[in-house]
Amino acid sequence: MPAIRRLAVRLLRAVLRHSSAGNQEWANAMLRELDFIENDWAALFWALGSATAIFRHSGRGLKAWFGNKPGRREERMNNIGKRAVGVASGVVIAGALVVCAFGLLLLTAYLFPSLGLDHLEWTHWLAVIVIPEAIFIIAVVRLWRKRGPLAIGIILSAVVLAVHFAIHVATH
Amino acid sequence: MKLRLSPQTILVLAEFLQSPQDWKYGYEISRNTSLKSGTLYPILMRLAERKLFETSWETAEIGKPPRHLYRLTPDGKQFAREHRLSRSMGRLGHAALSGAKS
Repeated sequence: MPAIRRLAVRLLRAVLRHSSAGNQEWANAMLRELDFIENDWAALFWALGSATAIFRHSGRGLKAWFGNKPGRREERMNNIGKRAVGVASGVVIAGALVVCAFGLLLLTAYLFPSLGLDHLEWTHWLAVIVIPEAIFIIAVVRLWRKRGPLAIGIILSAVVLAVHFAIHVATH
Repeated sequence: MKLRLSPQTILVLAEFLQSPQDWKYGYEISRNTSLKSGTLYPILMRLAERKLFETSWETAEIGKPPRHLYRLTPDGKQFAREHRLSRSMGRLGHAALSGAKS
């Protein structure tokens, strides 16, 4: 038997020895076919391809064994994480908007003292409550279907802002 | 039933549909479809796992090692036919495969 064919046979025998019970039938089938391949190089390539096929099939089995349950758990964790990040992003964006609006109001009052914005309380309400709340509502309506967690974050911020405003009005 | 119908899988099924009652050898399928063993056997394994193929060992003759045989199950035949794996689809598979090779 030529060395190349011997190598092919040895390779498939080694695969057969080391393959799992489920794969042994297949490895054996591949080994048996080797006797019917006339060309030695073709036999070697057949053996190499067969070894790869068994290796890949074993890999699939191992992946299913180790990967399935933790994978699902991991996926669930990822989903929860993504939602949490979405809600947090909504809160941060809404907060940033209110801070920007308030900052803009203060800046305008500072740059244009002649407007007397400091004394006009309705401008504060408009800039810090009415406009941001209107933006929040529009954003929630637009984002509700596509980015639910982000919309929830914005709603939370809107509610907190509204409660803060109510308390402020009640106490002053 | 979820099964990735790659051009190679279509080719294998088409090869079996040419004579659905016959048992075939692995090397014979490989030659007829021009698929290497590394491509062919994963397909055969998947199809056998899904009970679309049945496998058997050839009754050994004296001095000859037994060979593994493959044949479409009734479900396999139905599956192949449902997926329009007629002669025309076989040609399509060949064309897709030759396109992938070139």
